[in-house]
Amino acid sequence: MTTLYQSTSTRPIPNPKKSLITKLNAGTGLITGLIFGFGTYYLLRGSNDDAQVTFQIQNRAVLAGLLMWSVGFLIGIGAFIGPFRWLIGKDLTAEEQLYLAGDGQGFKRYFKYCTDHKVVGIQYLWGVIAMLAVGGTLAMMIRTNLAAPGGRFITPPLYNTLVGMHGITMIVAMIIVATGPFGNFIMPIMIGAADMAFPRLNALSWWVLFTAIPVLCSSWFLGGTPIGWTAYAPLSVQAGIGMNAYIATIIIFAVSTAVAGANITATVVSMRAKGMSWNRVPIFVIGATISVALAIPAFPTFMLSQIMTAMDRCFGTTFFDAHHGGSGWLYAHLFWIMGHPEVYVILLPGVAVLMEIVPVFARAPLFSYTTAVVGFAGIAGLSVLVWAHHMYISGWMPMLNGPFMITTEMISIPTGLIFLVMLGTLWGTKPWLKVPMLGVYAFLWNMLIGGVTGIYLSDVPADNYLHGSMYVTAHFHYTLMGAALTGATAGLVYWFPKMSGRMLNEKASLVSFILVQLGFQVLYLGMFIAGAEGQPRRVADFAAEYSTSNIISTGGAYAIGLGFIILLWAVIHSWRHGEVAPMNPWGAKTLEWTVPYPVPLVNFDTPPVVTSDPYGYGEGKK
Amino acid sequence: MSEHQDQNIGLTPGDRFGRFVRRADMRETLAWAVFYTAVFVVLALFFYPKWMPAIHSTNMKAIERLMVIFTIISAPVCGFVLSIATYTFRHGTRGNTPPQDSAPMRTNRLGIAVFSAVAGVLCLIAVIYGITAMNSEALAAEGDAKNALVVEVTGSQWVWSFNYPSLGVQSSELNLPVGKPVKFIVKSVDVNHSFWPVQLGVKADANDVVAVELNTTPNKIGHLDVKCAELCGLYHAYMETNGAVMSQSDFDNWVTANGGHTA
Repeated sequence: MTTLYQSTSTRPIPNPKKSLITKLNAGTGLITGLIFGFGTYYLLRGSNDDAQVTFQIQNRAVLAGLLMWSVGFLIGIGAFIGPFRWLIGKDLTAEEQLYLAGDGQGFKRYFKYCTDHKVVGIQYLWGVIAMLAVGGTLAMMIRTNLAAPGGRFITPPLYNTLVGMHGITMIVAMIIVATGPFGNFIMPIMIGAADMAFPRLNALSWWVLFTAIPVLCSSWFLGGTPIGWTAYAPLSVQAGIGMNAYIATIIIFAVSTAVAGANITATVVSMRAKGMSWNRVPIFVIGATISVALAIPAFPTFMLSQIMTAMDRCFGTTFFDAHHGGSGWLYAHLFWIMGHPEVYVILLPGVAVLMEIVPVFARAPLFSYTTAVVGFAGIAGLSVLVWAHHMYISGWMPMLNGPFMITTEMISIPTGLIFLVMLGTLWGTKPWLKVPMLGVYAFLWNMLIGGVTGIYLSDVPADNYLHGSMYVTAHFHYTLMGAALTGATAGLVYWFPKMSGRMLNEKASLVSFILVQLGFQVLYLGMFIAGAEGQPRRVADFAAEYSTSNIISTGGAYAIGLGFIILLWAVIHSWRHGEVAPMNPWGAKTLEWTVPYPVPLVNFDTPPVVTSDPYGYGEGKK
Repeated sequence: MSEHQDQNIGLTPGDRFGRFVRRADMRETLAWAVFYTAVFVVLALFFYPKWMPAIHSTNMKAIERLMVIFTIISAPVCGFVLSIATYTFRHGTRGNTPPQDSAPMRTNRLGIAVFSAVAGVLCLIAVIYGITAMNSEALAAEGDAKNALVVEVTGSQWVWSFNYPSLGVQSSELNLPVGKPVKFIVKSVDVNHSFWPVQLGVKADANDVVAVELNTTPNKIGHLDVKCAELCGLYHAYMETNGAVMSQSDFDNWVTANGGHTA
């Protein structure tokens, strides 16, 4: 009998010839997706003498078409075959399940509905890289236009779309940048599991997300989304047909994060190796789990806000039309009740990656594991109570500005604990200054600047001046890019040997690191100055008095762009030709370094037993 | 290790602390901490006063002072973080051979307690300062409410217009007399805008339902930039106008020239 725990060499390659699952892949998904999408559009489209009604009909046809593309793709790739077969009482056979896990299929499995968490991790990695590349290119275009006053390169409507698309593309990419690739590939091995708790849901979360990428890009062909990433109503209700791409993206993405969040949480709660009590779980797993658990309540409100926007646009409801009983503030609340937890959904996994890296390279135990957990939990807990600090000046409820200022400033305390854990771990060590470790140092500086400027912004009188200015843009890039993306990049260098079997080119990654981090300081120093001077954000053009700060920023941006191009080259080159990596190149003590490359289908030949936490450096050698 | 402990027998906590700070690693770390703290204090004193625009109102003065004070408060925190980072970085291990395991330090209750207490106190200072500043603004506005000059500000895609109901003047420029409290009543006729007279240091979103009130007192003669700080569609970047804080007599002349009547 073929079992999962049989080793790969003795297990026959599954070949369930008659089963439909062998015939389906991303290509069939694409075909059915396009048929469903365009079919729905042609069924629903139409026109009317009344321009308002025509607008609603068009919105309905386009939005339904985009959503049906996603459904069609998932049907075509075979996402629903498992549940369907179960429903009709013919559950998948063991051989079919092994086939679905991609056993013995090589490169092909990356384009199939594959349940192996390592395949899903790699799919997420390249999906994230693609999104960051698109978002980064848009950022370069923005900075090029802002190099000098006059806005000579890009027209205002295109500029507004660029800003919105850069924002939402990067936000989506950053939410999954660490939990996608590392949460799926590395985390189950880290906790000693054979796979995720729900492997089919795992594949579903990736392929649902995948369908959102062309939807988001379709905005360019539908007239753009010139409404910023916040998509405030009533501006969004007034926006053109391209707005449907934004709405559909958020709805699809929210489904994906809900599925992924539930799956990761369930895996960590129920699939840990024998002996891995909660105080022995690697800190990356803790940070990532708290992050996805925070996303589970946060994203539905975002999805809801977009469904309501869609209804205002498609059916003439008035959720956000104040003249007919609605309220624009309602949108702002729904958005920020998601939006502020969401920045911590982005931040926490990146920080947790770095916290995993510090003990390994400092060769010292993680300082006060409990403090780290309290820090993460404290940030997550407070983050749901601060949303209205985005609305100090909206006039919604000035009386509540004080309480929201207090909750916001309180976040500095658990954030301080995160710093304390890293500094305490570093204290008295001679850390190994490899590129992942350099990421920790970059984080300490960037998060410090991001955190301190966050305290100014949380303060009501200061926010009266700084709100809506370039200062805010610089602040959140320091936290999301300077801290979270730095963490994810460090994680890529750190786990690259386990994911690709090869070492990432050290020289190239070092050059990239230096260019990105120095360019980053230059870019956002210029932007802090522009904001302090009084330049609003999201402007296609600016007065001559801000020229100096803007040209500084553009110079820094180009350095970042060059740095990331070098990193991309290094990743592609090293993946194919890099030096073959030893099993544990960094001398780390977490479980993922105990398995060979390629990692076996069920990760461990015998399920591991854990007897201590993975940070016992310098202990037990008295 | 035991030798080290023997040396500590009979020492008072003060002596131990003295020895601790005289250790070579502590001396260097402390020197870095002092250096970084000083850098941030200098930055505080120069960055915002240099880059923030000319101050034309009491609000703007308070904001600039707040930014400077908050930076000074955070300077020792920056010193603490960056000193440890710099020390360990300078003494880090280069090359391809990883360092030896360090002496393990799992926790340090006193350190965590002191750190949490200091973080809590700094947070409290920031909160108290912020609330005090916010309330003094509100109180000042309340006191000035009776004799404030009312200016109705209307945002529409993509222009600002200003109506002075007590003077019978409509204008596309925001002119204000120096030293007189002013109450802006901000609204929009379409999407959300955000009214931002930059040099006055105040801002309010304009929506199309509820008028938002905003108070300040211009206290220095000079130019005003009025901008929109909320993305409002196609020409958001160009939704700006000029204005000025002027002497009472200049203001009266401007009112008369625009068909209004002076009080």
